[in-house]
Parts: sequence; C-alpha cells; structure tokens
Amino acid sequence: MALTITCPVCGKRNGYEFKYGGEEKGPRPEEKDLDPRAWCDYVHMNKCVAGVQEEWWFHKDGCGSWFTILRDTTTNLEIEKKEAQNDEQV
Amino acid sequence: MMNRFNHLPTLKIDAARKIGFIYKNKKYYGVQGDTVATALYANGIRIFARSLKYHRPRGLYSLDGECSNTCMEVDNIPNVRCENTQLKEGMVIKEQNVKGSAQNDMMSFIDKMDWMMPAGFYYNTMHKPAKIWPIAMKQIRKAAGLGTLSPDFEMPGSYDEIFPNTDVCVIGGGPSGMMAAIAAAKKDLRVILMESRPSLGGFFEYRKNFHNRSLELAKEVNALENIRVFTHTSMVGAYNNNLITGFQIGKPSDVFDQRYIEIRAKSVVVATGCIERPLIFDHNEKPGVMQIGCALRLANTYGLLPGKKAVFSIGHDLGLEAALELHNLGLKIELIADIREDGQDPALLQKIEEKNIPLLKGWVACRANGRKQVKSVEVSGIDGLISKTIACDLIVASAGMTPVTGPVTIALGKLKYDAHTGFFMADKLPEKMHVTGRLLGLDDPRSIETSGTLAGLQAALDCENCSIKEIGDVKKELENLPGPTRGTKLVTAPVKGRKSFICFDEDTTIKNIKQAIEKGFDVPELIKRFTSAGTGPGQGGIPGHNLPLYVAKYQALPDISIKPTTTRPPLVPTLLSTYAGTNHIMLKTTPMDKMQREDGGIFRNIGVWQRARYFSGDFTCEKEIKNIRSNVGMLDASTLGKFRIHGPDALKALQRVFVSDMSKVQHGRMKYSAMCNDDGCVIDDGVITKLRRNDYYFTTSTGRAGQTVEWLRYHTRYDKWDFHVVNLTDAMGVINLSGPNSRKTLEKIVDIDISNEAFGFSEYKEFTIKECIPVKAMRLGFVGELSYELHVPSSYMQSVWLMLKEAGSKFNIQNFGVEAQNVLRMEKCHIILGQESEQRTNLLDVGLGFLWDRSKSDAKTIGAVALAQAESDKTRLKLVGFKMENNTRAPHDGSLIVDEKVRGYVCTARDSFSLKEAVGMALVEGPLSKIGTRLEIFEDECGDDRIYGKIVAMPFYDPEGSRMKM
Amino acid sequence: MIFKNKPLWGKKKKLKSSYDVVLIGGGLHSLATAYYLAKEHGITDIAIIEKNYIGFGGAGRNTAIVRANQRTQHNVPLYKEALDLWPVLTKELDYNLMFNNCGNLNLMHSEAAMKAARMTIATAQFHGVESHLIDAKEAKEMVPALNISENITFPIHGAMFHPPGGIVRHDAVVWGLAKGAAKKGVEIHQHTEALSIETKNNKVCSVTTSEGKINTRQVLISAGGYSAALIHDMLGIKLPISVLTIQAMVTQPLKPLLDHVVSSGAYHCYANQTLKGEIATGAHMDPWPNYTTLNTAHYIKHQAEALSEFLPCLRGVRFMRIWGGLADMTPDMAPIMDGNNQIEGFFMNCGWGYFGFKSCSAAGKYMAQFMATDQCPDIFKPFALKRYEEHRLMGETAALVNYTPDN
Repeated sequence: MALTITCPVCGKRNGYEFKYGGEEKGPRPEEKDLDPRAWCDYVHMNKCVAGVQEEWWFHKDGCGSWFTILRDTTTNLEIEKKEAQNDEQV
Repeated sequence: MMNRFNHLPTLKIDAARKIGFIYKNKKYYGVQGDTVATALYANGIRIFARSLKYHRPRGLYSLDGECSNTCMEVDNIPNVRCENTQLKEGMVIKEQNVKGSAQNDMMSFIDKMDWMMPAGFYYNTMHKPAKIWPIAMKQIRKAAGLGTLSPDFEMPGSYDEIFPNTDVCVIGGGPSGMMAAIAAAKKDLRVILMESRPSLGGFFEYRKNFHNRSLELAKEVNALENIRVFTHTSMVGAYNNNLITGFQIGKPSDVFDQRYIEIRAKSVVVATGCIERPLIFDHNEKPGVMQIGCALRLANTYGLLPGKKAVFSIGHDLGLEAALELHNLGLKIELIADIREDGQDPALLQKIEEKNIPLLKGWVACRANGRKQVKSVEVSGIDGLISKTIACDLIVASAGMTPVTGPVTIALGKLKYDAHTGFFMADKLPEKMHVTGRLLGLDDPRSIETSGTLAGLQAALDCENCSIKEIGDVKKELENLPGPTRGTKLVTAPVKGRKSFICFDEDTTIKNIKQAIEKGFDVPELIKRFTSAGTGPGQGGIPGHNLPLYVAKYQALPDISIKPTTTRPPLVPTLLSTYAGTNHIMLKTTPMDKMQREDGGIFRNIGVWQRARYFSGDFTCEKEIKNIRSNVGMLDASTLGKFRIHGPDALKALQRVFVSDMSKVQHGRMKYSAMCNDDGCVIDDGVITKLRRNDYYFTTSTGRAGQTVEWLRYHTRYDKWDFHVVNLTDAMGVINLSGPNSRKTLEKIVDIDISNEAFGFSEYKEFTIKECIPVKAMRLGFVGELSYELHVPSSYMQSVWLMLKEAGSKFNIQNFGVEAQNVLRMEKCHIILGQESEQRTNLLDVGLGFLWDRSKSDAKTIGAVALAQAESDKTRLKLVGFKMENNTRAPHDGSLIVDEKVRGYVCTARDSFSLKEAVGMALVEGPLSKIGTRLEIFEDECGDDRIYGKIVAMPFYDPEGSRMKM
Repeated sequence: MIFKNKPLWGKKKKLKSSYDVVLIGGGLHSLATAYYLAKEHGITDIAIIEKNYIGFGGAGRNTAIVRANQRTQHNVPLYKEALDLWPVLTKELDYNLMFNNCGNLNLMHSEAAMKAARMTIATAQFHGVESHLIDAKEAKEMVPALNISENITFPIHGAMFHPPGGIVRHDAVVWGLAKGAAKKGVEIHQHTEALSIETKNNKVCSVTTSEGKINTRQVLISAGGYSAALIHDMLGIKLPISVLTIQAMVTQPLKPLLDHVVSSGAYHCYANQTLKGEIATGAHMDPWPNYTTLNTAHYIKHQAEALSEFLPCLRGVRFMRIWGGLADMTPDMAPIMDGNNQIEGFFMNCGWGYFGFKSCSAAGKYMAQFMATDQCPDIFKPFALKRYEEHRLMGETAALVNYTPDN
C-alpha cells in the first residue's frame, strides 16, 4: 500500500478504499456543435502530468463521495489543498 | 559431536535437551536453541552447500542469512537458510544443487572453467549455429536453480495475518531500538518493536561485556505494557505513509507457524544497526572463512568453538574484542591482521599484547588456501608488497562494518557516502522516519543508547507527544558522547580478483566486475544486471555496499557519487504461504444458494457471485429448456442489481445516465432502457419503475451492480443535484417465473387478479403474499415466454420459492439455470451485454437504437454525442441473427466470420431445441449485415474447412411476441 | 582471454550540433528504430537521447514474455512478425537473446472465458499463428503444478495454449540492439535529458537537451511510460493514455518446475520460470496514474494468494525481489503509432501498456520505414491517434478497461 487519501467525509484512509476517477477536466461540455475532436479531448485525452495534478476520487468502500484531491504522481503522495482552493464539492 | 560450552551467560542453548534430526538420511542430534546450521556445525559438518555456478564448497559465513551458503532443503521445502532456522525435532535436511554431495560434488570441475565464463558470457555464446541453443538451454535450466520443488508439494503449517495500527514502530531490537521504544512508550504512545532474532538484544546480546545490559534493557521493554514486542520478526517492506510489513516465525506455543504483519505507524524508527562488510580476497568464501560476529556467536550463543587455529583479518575493534574472547575460550590465534594502521582501542590492544596474540597493523588476508576447507592463509601488507603464509583452519575476516540501510532505501530514503565512516548513510529520510544507533556510524555503547532515546523522542514528537526542548537536551547529551568512529576504506585485499568473490550467490568475482565496466556497464545497476551480482537468494547482502565502493575505486572516481543498487522488498525472502496468510475466498451467494444446491444445481462463478448454471450434467440443458417452453420454470435472478433513487433531482440523474426519455415513464409503470458510456458503448440495461414523483426503482445487470452508484454520482458530480441512491441488491432477491404455466402457478399464492387484463405484459404491480411478504412484480419476457419477475425481500426468498414450488408442482415446475436462460433468450435475440456487445459496438450497433431519445440534449445524456457522431459510419460492427445452412450444427461461440479477412465473429449460437435448427447471433461488419448475406464461418481447428450460415431476421423464436404477451 | 572487453555500444562521444534523426528514449522501441533505420534505410546519423541509461525503463523491468495471440486482426500480424524476428535478430546482432520458445498457457476460468479464448484462437489460426484451446486435464499434463480442483476461487476450465510464444532475455535485447545500432554508427547518449522540441511553421527544427541543442528534421518520442508526459509537455499534444505502475517479482531460484509461461486473467497473475530458475510473476497495476514505479504491500500479498490457489506448490517458495515499471495504457489496449500528424517531422510510438517488450522489434522496423520514407506503412495505419475521435477503438480488449473513469 503506497497511498492514503483524505476523503472530505471520512478523513484520511487507505488508498485501496477509493477508486480513481480521472484528471479534473471541468464539467461536461455543451452537446450542441461539439465536434469529434473536442468530444475526444474531453472524454479520452489526458495531460499525464508527472508532478502535481488535480484529480477525482470516489470513496467506494466508504461514504460514496466523489471529490478532488491534489496528488503528486511522482511520489503517490497527496498534497494538501490550500484553503482557497477548497471547492464547494466538499 | 563437538563439546559445548555450558558456563557462558550469553548462551541461548540448553545443551541437556537433545533434538534429533535427519541429515542426508542419517540421524544426528543438536540441542535446544540450535539453528539447523549450528547443529550441523556441532556435528562436524563444514561444507553446507555448493555455489550456483562454479559448485564451489560453501560453509558458515555470517549466521544472519546474508548469502545462500547455508541454503538447504528442510522438510521438502527448498532454499531454507539454515543459519537462521531454528532446529526442530525430526527435521529432514538435504543438500541442494549437488551431484553427489556437498562434500564431494562431481560438478566441482566447473570451478576450473571460470576462464571460459567471463561476465555476460551467455550473451556471446551458444547461439551459433542456432540449432544448439535449445539444447544448451536445457542444460542451463538443469544446472541453474538451487532447490527442487515437487509439483505436488503441499505446504504444511498454519499462516496468520494481522494489521495493527501503532504510534511508533521501531525496527530492530538492539540497544538503540530498545531505547527508542522505551523513550516513546514513556511518552504514553503505543509502540511496536520488531526484532528479527528470537530474542531482544541485538549486538549487545552475544558479547560478554554487554550481555547484562541487554538483559536490563529487555526487561525494561517487557515491563512497559504499551510496547508490543514482536521477536523473530523480520521487517520486509516499507511503503509510503509509514506502512511497514514483516513476518514473524511462531514459537512452539503459538497457533501459527508464520504470521504476516502489516503495520500502519505514525512514525518509524530504524534501528537495524550494522552487519560486517565482507572482506574481498582470493577464496574469501571458502569454508573456514567466516565473519567476526559469526565466530563469536558460534561460541557465545551456541557454545561451539568455531575452529582450532585461527587467523583474524579485521578492520574494526569488534575483531579485537572477539579475538580476546575466543582466545580465552581456547581458540589458538596465530595472527590478527588489522587493516587499520592506527585508531584501535588502546585498552583492547593492551589486552591482546598481554595474551601474546600476534598483531600486524596494516595487514590483510589475501588468499585462503586449501582444496575444500581452509588449510592456511596468505596475509600481506595492504599494499601487497610483503606476505607470509600461516597454517590455520579458521579465517575470521571482515573489512569493517556496513550499515543495514535496506529499510531506509525501500522507504525511499536517500543514501550518501560519508568519508569518515566509509558508510553509505541515510541522507534524506522520508517524513516521520528516524535512524539511530550504529546506522549513524556510532560505536560507543553510550552513544548508541542515547541516540536510541533521541530517535524515540523524535518519533514521539511526530505523534505530538514530546517537547522540542526535551529533544534538544538529549541532543546535547549525545553531542558530548563519542561520535562516529573512523571506518576502513579498504575494499579488496591486494589481489587480481579471479577468485575473489564480491557476490557469493552468483559467483561474481572482482574480475567479472572489471570485465563489465570495460564493456560499458559502468553503473552498479547495469553491473548488477550484466553480472547478476546481488540477484541471488542472499538479495545483495554480500555485495551490498562493496559493489558501489569497488566500482568507484576501479574507475578511480574522485568522489563516491555512485549509489548502491536499489534495494527491493522483501528485505528477507518470504514464503508465499506467509504472504498469503489466511487466504480468503470472497464470493457472494444468493439467498437461494443452499436450496438450489440441494436441487442439484451446478454452480459457477459469475462476477462476484456464485450462480446455478445447470441443473443436470447435460450442459445443453435440453430438459430445462423444453420445460420452460412447455410448462414452467424458476430461476434465481437475485444477482440483478436493484436500486432505489429518490430526491428532488432523481429524474434528472436518470435522464443523464439512461438513453431513453425517463420523463415519459408514468407512475406505477416501467420502462426498459440502457446506459452507455461516453463512447456510446452499452454498459448496462435494466428496467426503471416509477414508484412516485422523483422516486424510482430500477434494475441493472449483475455485473454492473457494484458500480451503479459510483456511475450515477460520477456523471452528476458537477451538478450539485439532490438525489439519493440506495443499493438494494443484497436486500432484495429475484425469482424469475417463466413458461406458459407461470400464471397458473403464481395465481395460487397471490390473492389479487393477475389475469392478462389486470396485469399485462410489460406492466408493474406491487402486492403482498400471505399479507406480509411485499412483492414487486414485473411482467417481462427475457426468455420469450409468459414470465414474472418477482422482487422479494431477501429474508423471504426461500419462503416464496417453496410456495411457488408447491404451487407449480402439478404444472411440472422445475429449476432452470443461467445457461438455459442464455439459450432461451438467444432464440429470442435478447442480448446479454458483453456477450453480444463489446468495446467496438455501440447502442446502435447492437440494435438497441430504438431506446435512444434524441430530443433530450439538455440532459447531456452519456453516450449521446458519440452515438450521433458515429451514426453515419456504415462500416461498424452490427449485430445480426443467422441460421446455419443445410442443417449444419451450430458453430462454436467465438468462431470468426471471414472472407479473405476477418469480418466479425459469432457471439452465441446453439442447436435450438425449440426451433429444431442451428441459430445464432453474430457481430459482423456493416456491409455484410444485410438479411440474406451468406456468412463464411471459420472455427478454431477447422483447417481449410468452412461452415456457412445465412443472415435472417431476428428474433428466431415467436417473432410476434405473442407467447410472452399471452 | 577469448573475449575482448571493449564497450559494447561504442565509446562515449560528444553530442553533435545536428543529426538527421533524434530518438528520445533509450529503450527497446527506440533502439530497434535506430537499428532498422541504419540497417535497412542507410540512415546512420542518429542520436539516441536517454536520460538515465539504456534499458532503465520498461525495457529492463518487464518479465520478458513474448507471444502473438492478440485479439484482433490488426494486432496479430504485428506481434507475429515480432515473434518471428527473435531468432533473426539473434543471428544478425550476433548476440544471444536467449529465446526460450516454451509456449504460453493462458488459463480460462469460466465458460465465457473459454468462448472469448476461442475467438482469439480462431483469429490466431486464421493468420497462421499456432494457438489451441485445451481442457483443464490437458493443461495439468503440461503444467503438473496446476491445481485443477473445483475448490478454488476461480476453478480452471481450460487454457489457450500458444506454442510459438515464450520468454526472451530482455536485457540481452537492449544490449544486442544497442550493439547492432552502434556498430552501424548510431550514437547512444546516456545520461542526457531531452528538454524540449522546437518547431517552426509546424515543422520540427531542433531538440534541446541537457548536453546542448541539436538541429534535426525528424524526431521520435518513444520513451515508454514517459512518452505521454513528454509529448504533452514538449508539444502540447494530449494523448488517451494513463500511465500506471505495473509490478513483477521473482522467487528464489528452483530447479525446472514450470516448462511454460502460465497466465490467468481472473487471478491477475502470470508465472514463468527464468533460465536462472526463478519463478517470475506479476501483472497487477494500481489503477491510478503514477510515475513512481513503487511496489505495494497490497500486491505482493495478492500475488501470493493467487499463486497459492492455482499453483499451490509455490506456497513452499520464497519471494526474493519485487519491482515496478510503467505501463502507458490506452482505452483499447493498443498502441499509438503516428507521425507527421500535427507537426511535420514529429513521430510518436507509445501507448503500448504492458505489450511493449514483445512488439519492439516489429514496431521499430516499421517505425524506421515510416520515418525513412515519410509514408505510413499499412500495418501501422489502424494505430493512428485519430481513431479515438473517429469512434474506432481497436477492440484489443473485449471488456471495458478499469483504469479510466469511463467504466
């Protein structure tokens, strides 16, 4: 086990309780006039950041929340979010 | 059998209690407290094994398992490190990797062929001509490997696992580790202390002058109730956020033989101390050469004098201390060659002089002589200019100390070379990890203990239970005590190195390392790969820090920036049975599991579930199928996903994930629909029932039930909608009652009107049975007959099942399983996701396009965009139905549709009992999907033979659907 | 001394200010591309830029299994060619790649899996690749250590037996290709980091490295698990890739016990015996992107549990070493091989997931052809990046993958 994740509801827990949900890309785009490229960009494409990225997690063996965290992909360590960055999801 | 000392306070044996064991088919005796290796040593065995490549004789070297020298087969288990395996009554011990015996190995001639086998020689040989390689490879395979394992070997013993949480985890039960544990425990913290040997004490334990102190410390540790001591426990892994793993060997009184331990700690103290850095000289691994600790522990712990006449070649005061102790016990010491020109402890020097033990400073062993065992040693000045040969049967050799940094590096701590100690020392430590004691290069016992206290307090600070001032005080105290001692820098004796081994397990010599560097493999990681050094069962214990030191020396690098090779877990080789622990099977069963098994159900795993797939040994399910088509059958469909979604935004959420327009579902009505992913692939289908406004009950497929809540919440995560999803999958069971007699059967147990007029096809009804069992009933037609899907609280499932069974008895009600259902629904061309769909097919491709409502683009329905964009592509795979030509049997599922290329494949096909012909469904490329197209079918193993089918209209059975609507 | 000791891949040279071709990454695909550019197209003015040392990444961390039993017709021919190339390369490079043609046994644990296997087998046979469906008893005859009883979590129903597959010594391929390429004049620059790619009018013009700037017309990024991040950072091109750490481990060495590669999808586990006698086993990926190559306590335990069930004699064996490497996974388990697409002179070869080793020779060969001729070889065409926006995923995996949120 290399990962712990802080769930906004349940606190810091073993990473295997959670499921990864992809890079944070913003809300679903409007469907009208969405060309294949833009659709593909939203659905499939990643930045594959080697460093800190904002990403979605789901507490599957816990409260069932979806939330974002900041994590360094080169260390597998969660980075504390600054207060200002705390979004309303929490 | 050798005599044992019995007066030493340090002894860990009870010489009076004999333990019998079998070695090479003969009975031998050791004593209580022996390891297998010490028992053999006591019986005069000196050659324990032969080396992997050259079949060189190998003996006792370190007693701590840093190499494979003492690997043997114990009770049919291969590669057991006998030097740290406790002897047990009746053990059967065999030698490994020898032709003949370890004493007389017929393969030993290979040792003379080493000139043919430079580093990496495999890569340059045996491939020309190509024909010889397979033959050579066979021989290599036979020659390689150490122990033998029988394919039907059954591992005895019981294996446990625990997952404790703690505040502080201390690794190493020597003086600094014990002090750290005590310090942290006194701060009211929970402490775990791990020690790899069977008792606490570390390197205080076996030394005459420190033994009492180690007992005192152990007593103090044991008196503290908040310290949990795990002895005989090796730490094997360290992971992010201070997760530490290890395993414990059980005592006879324990309920387990071995136990996997996974510890989550707030803070970790590494107190693993030092081992001896092997001295590299010619034949430095010959039986009769051993390290200082090994010789001393043989005597002090196991009561065995390691030899008769010894030469010491050492680089640390421990060597002087050991020489004195062993001299006093009767070992004749011909010479102590000390690498160091100066810096020895004057008190020790004086005692050595008093005992008339010859000592040469600046000298070192450079060659061990003797065919199989040491007969004499050549010693020389460290410059190699003068030398002499001394007869002896024991060479006690080590270059100095080297820290056990494995726990630090696997936790991603960084090492840095320290010129004063000659150590690679922990430089950058992971958060909340501390090192202490000899790892810091400390040698003075008081410094070691104080540094332990300091580390314990630092760990307490991590847990916010210690003041900074207190830590400052101990720091000051430590500063006033002796600091790290100067270490020896010598890597090899003055030798050419053809027979000087840097890695024992892989028979890697100094010469091999030179060859590798010259070939361009100039960093330790590459040298390790090219020469195999450090990849044997000793896991780098012998090459350890010698390898980078030598590489730096050979390349004459000005500073030692070279790093040791990466240490990899497990730090100590660990049995699979130990890691596996209690080995749980975690499959789910439905409420009907037992009753269906009693009725002859043959079960299969389906996803996380176990389900009855057949009810007879006839896997074509002829009887089950015919009974449904003509009478009535019952299927346990409890594995279906079942959910309630309610709240002000429940409808919006459904609109997002289901492709149909859910706003059209009326109260008390139901609708079949599907969910797609963003590619438009169908990922799920089910029935949605509107219970009341913004309150729905819906089903999902068995496989998707686990992800449904996650899916709904994921795809609405930006919307802040207010809805609740409750997973009722395990709370509700489902009985599928199907067949023309199903209404007659159901009528008998309900007291409402369920005539076709009152409860028609594709309608939903709620009622209670016997006034207490609430049932949600749906008229569906998956198998193509009159059918009721009854959703019943799990606790009532067996009752309802029995009632139906009784009610249906006169209509010949029978169980049916998942395979019968599979055939029945195939005849009806109802698809099963994953069977008639895959990653390349979308909703439209599998013929479910009618479910998609394009008018609700505001809902941002998942998959809608992809469906719209892919709609015009006519080349995609399409689902078609086909019949076989000329009464041919059905093709195997998975057969290909081909012309000169692959055009598709058969999803499901059967010789249909209902239709009396072979039919099936296939996915084929669009241009081939027209009705009437002839399909060329390529089956596995068909060679040049093909069978043919023709695309026909779907469904095959009862196209009007009158049977399910009756 | 019958073996001369000289540097296998040439003496260290100073980086020049221009090359015809720059290959970023010192792994197998890059080395193979260089080798074939030099050998078949006469292009030898090539610099391979490697941040660490050659074979540092996936090339040196994989478990060396080779096979050609992929699922779809686009993939099978490519892997078949790669498989056929091992003996050829052994000869051409005069370096023993130690191809152990022991065959692969892929266990099936359900009727559904047997059906899926049949399709894969039929696809192989249709393309002239040997592969057969066998039942549990036949599997047991081939691998006597198998547990074919019903009393395990995933009982064995049968297996897909693929005789032409086996194991190749992965390090030997790295060093052999490096040797072969260097001999033809390719320069291998280790401990040199590529920092950026410069373009002018959408054409590649130079590569900046830690050792200086290189003018070049063509550059390939073929850096295994690091490719996607490099391509995004240097050129802003996003890829449908998730980079995961995959783990493998070996036991202590044993005398011959497993004569075939044995793998199981249900147990997420494969096992084979190396020439040294170790049982090499692995497969699991933590399903979240990371570049750590860290192993986990979770997995080594899982692996022991899995092997305990289907190869129970291994309970008496000890794990000796576990390690991790990167797998750059795509949603359809097929690679992305593309070039001159958004930027002229820029080529990419990535997204191989855990198939990068077995395919390296053929992928390198055709990438060399692509770069030398500026024409995409037919065999590469289905692997273009555009397939994702055209809704034409390749179907190399039947099931939907679980490392993206889209499942």
